[in-house]
Amino acid sequence: MTVLIPGMEFFVALAIYVIIFLVVTLSYNMVYGYMGIPDYGRALAAAGGGFLCGYLPGRLMAYILGIQGDYLEKVFLIVSDINTALKGDALLSVALLLLTILLGSLAAGILGLVVSIPILRNVRIFYLAISLLAIQTGFQTICYHWDPILRGEFGVPIPDPFIWVARYAPPGVSAGVMRGIAVVIASGVVLLLTAYYFTSVGKSPLGRLLKAVRDDEESAEALGRDVNKLFLKVMAVSYAFTGAAGVLFAYYQGFVVGTDFPKELWTFWPLAMVILGGLASNKGTVLGTIVFIALKRLIIFYKADLEPILPFSPVWLDGLLLGLFLILLLIYRPRGLVPERAELPFSKEEIEKIKKS
Amino acid sequence: MVSPLLLRTIVFANVIAFMAMSATLTMAKTNVNNFAAATFGTIGIYITLTSTKVFGIGLYPSLLLCFIGGGIVGVATYLLLIKPLKTRGAKGGEIMIATLALDTALIALLNIYADFLNRVLKVMSRDFTLTPYDFNFLGVSGVFIVSSVMLIAVLTTLHLIYTRTSMGIALRAMGESPSLAECQGVDTERLCVVTWFLAGSLPAIAGGLFPVYWMSNPNVSVFIGITVFGASILGGFMTIYDAIAGSYIVAFAQVALVSYISSFVGSWILSYQFLAPLSVIVITLLTFPSGIYGLPWDRLWEKVKTLKGSNKGRK
Repeated sequence: MTVLIPGMEFFVALAIYVIIFLVVTLSYNMVYGYMGIPDYGRALAAAGGGFLCGYLPGRLMAYILGIQGDYLEKVFLIVSDINTALKGDALLSVALLLLTILLGSLAAGILGLVVSIPILRNVRIFYLAISLLAIQTGFQTICYHWDPILRGEFGVPIPDPFIWVARYAPPGVSAGVMRGIAVVIASGVVLLLTAYYFTSVGKSPLGRLLKAVRDDEESAEALGRDVNKLFLKVMAVSYAFTGAAGVLFAYYQGFVVGTDFPKELWTFWPLAMVILGGLASNKGTVLGTIVFIALKRLIIFYKADLEPILPFSPVWLDGLLLGLFLILLLIYRPRGLVPERAELPFSKEEIEKIKKS
Repeated sequence: MVSPLLLRTIVFANVIAFMAMSATLTMAKTNVNNFAAATFGTIGIYITLTSTKVFGIGLYPSLLLCFIGGGIVGVATYLLLIKPLKTRGAKGGEIMIATLALDTALIALLNIYADFLNRVLKVMSRDFTLTPYDFNFLGVSGVFIVSSVMLIAVLTTLHLIYTRTSMGIALRAMGESPSLAECQGVDTERLCVVTWFLAGSLPAIAGGLFPVYWMSNPNVSVFIGITVFGASILGGFMTIYDAIAGSYIVAFAQVALVSYISSFVGSWILSYQFLAPLSVIVITLLTFPSGIYGLPWDRLWEKVKTLKGSNKGRK
């Protein structure tokens, strides 16, 4: 039996998944790690961005390019025409990508505000977790069944803002790989912004306030902090970043259907990644994300090799490993691989100086 | 002749009630939010499938195996997951995530088992029903009779245990304050094991009944789970009586009400049936977060009595 060695396509896909999920986990860490909100609705944020990507860019481009006809009925033809136009116009493609990311983030941010309403009612943490889980599933059910959004269970193709890069592919590099590299670059830029933002927040007084609220909500309230307002802000901002990841993922796939953002992949996996890395530890989150995504992609890659050996489909190993990993982590290493460190407002020397003075 | 829709709705309500009782018991007695309650039900589904198709045991006798098998899973969950977490001082949120992880692992294991049944034992293990194994009594399906009788029996037994035995009183004390109960000499460890046995066995019984009416597969708990939690939240997560009341309300909204509305607006609405428990969750959390249990029944009763009194006065 020959074992396949991963090729260029594998590593490009791996890089895309790692980068996109890093955007998700870093933003998730702010909500769960720093603030302690059990956000079981994270998939909703990604779906918000992804579904907007399935709904808006095609219609917008058809309008701009003057393509006639019922959009949903002729969606494949219309998107093909749009792609032809985007192929020769890099500027238009980049503008479309940027606009969708912005609008996707906005849509996800609004969703974040809406689902946070139960927080204002001071519901118990478990109730909040269930309501977020339920709202997320309900949203996806509607998007899956309601034809006008994404053609119901058939889904819709999406215009490809990366299609123009194929002509710059060097010899020996396929158009698909070149497109993948372009997705890596675009996602990389979003990741840099995300990492910069959340690292800055983590180190700022706001980051310390979030941790204070997580550790003792009543004390923070007693000190005059509006905790509910803080919850809403954090949820909205965090959802907005995850929405951008949803947009990038949808563009990468080139097709969106209502089942594309399952809670296992977009809520539970990020949760496991954050716990593995360490709560409120951005470095840990990066490590946790890389480990989990690499493991997941390897299972998918070697699926065909494992299939004849096992009396079951290897796809179920995914959920089994996720569940077992999480359980073992929670029992034996609850602080993660890179445990949270105290964020000091000044350097240790400066603190000593202040103490002496 | 009883309407088939009504029968279906009541059986669904009974199934949900067993699962909601499980979620409520673990929450009220051991302070654990168990996300795997509905998946314990799926274990029951596969115990029944194996019993009937592989071992040739009848559908209803296999419910005994569901009770025992589900109970063992419940106890194992407590001993291998909940207890170690509590021993190391894990917070409620962490334990909740652990049950979510357990749920994910169990669903994967059930899928693996379903593949094994299908590939090795050649048993159809996905999207199956066990309708042919049911009986019919005077035009009423057996599952309606059995599920209703079992629900009443379980409710009566638990009621008697809670109100008439020292164990029931100890369970109530543990639900109020475990440390105080321990100080009074209550063996909380034993009570936790008993609670988790019930938390595993009750949904497993429900799971055993489920495939008689509905198509079953290893992922079925993903859909039922929200209904179960809708019922439990509506009930208030405190007593099994409220959990049953919540289950009936949610089941009637999800099955009977939506089917009734579909006769006016068309069958397309059936695809959105699932939104009924979701709406119940949202409405409950926004208007009366403590659920049926937390409603001011005393004041309501006083008002009713006052109204009755004033009506008599007028006469």
